[in-house]
Amino acid sequence: MIQAVSHVHPPTATGIENKKLMMWLFLASDCMFFGTLITTHLIYRKLFPSGAVEEGVVNVTNTFNIELTSFSTFILLMSSFLMALAVSALHKMELKSFRRNLFGVIIFGLIFLGCQVFEFIEFVHGNPITGAPSLTLSNSVFGSTFFVLTGTHGVHVAIGVLWLLGLWLYSFTGRMTHESALDVEVAGLYWHFVDIVWIIIFTAVYLIEYI
Amino acid sequence: MSHSIDFKEIKRIENERYHAFFNLAVILAVLTGLEIVAIFLPFLRSTLMTLLVVCSVIKFFAVILWFMHLIYDSFFLFAVFLSGLAIAFGTVWALLYLFDPADMDATYHACQFLAFKRGCC
Repeated sequence: MIQAVSHVHPPTATGIENKKLMMWLFLASDCMFFGTLITTHLIYRKLFPSGAVEEGVVNVTNTFNIELTSFSTFILLMSSFLMALAVSALHKMELKSFRRNLFGVIIFGLIFLGCQVFEFIEFVHGNPITGAPSLTLSNSVFGSTFFVLTGTHGVHVAIGVLWLLGLWLYSFTGRMTHESALDVEVAGLYWHFVDIVWIIIFTAVYLIEYI
Repeated sequence: MSHSIDFKEIKRIENERYHAFFNLAVILAVLTGLEIVAIFLPFLRSTLMTLLVVCSVIKFFAVILWFMHLIYDSFFLFAVFLSGLAIAFGTVWALLYLFDPADMDATYHACQFLAFKRGCC
């Protein structure tokens, strides 16, 4: 019943729309990319437990701002919820609801990026109150792997925000039809992937330091 | 006529999914809260590690199954993603095994010993 309407795209050999299949293949390859980045961070963290080769100890729990990171994690999780609602709204052709939810995702994505920028600035300058030293890309092994990993994720979020912003603006042109649901679904898959990568990073990079 | 019936069916299904999405969002928030609270509690390191890993895995699969529609979509897509995930996990495992800090220390000491012997001779 549903397929009669959703099959507005030409049939494919697999029965799955090409755009969707390509996005899943891309996400599968991105898993490997983030897998190696996370592992590199964990290995260097173990090989250089002091955080730096010559500079001395980096007290990671002193450096981290777990309240801020927890807040941004919550924001990203909720953005995933709104994204699922936006896709659902477009399937129902409720354009107003779609726009509202998508705008929420964009705002949440921007809040997450803002938190990350604030966190990076705080790390680079150090915190005299907690006694946390400056942490940069080049002053310690920990800094190198941490900034590369979280920075790569941040770039993914930024690309996602731009993509969703494009779709949101496109919805005002009046050319968004039921067929566009697939494009939004593909963008949604990318956004959810960014979320699941952060779920792993939050545990493997941040929470693990406190136990 | 049939198009409108189909559209009604889609609406009904999407409305049902809304409840699933809402429940999932609440579960994700609760699990994240649990993780954050747990790290400050005086539990054994191994217990906390297990808890964090289990929570992360639940959240990971909950998002890919419901939010990313894998539970509603073709199994082929799940297989595609799972194969990528399996290769990624294999790479992670191989790297952690190859660069085990204990082995690295042993290699480092072996090199030091050989360098010392060469110096003596």
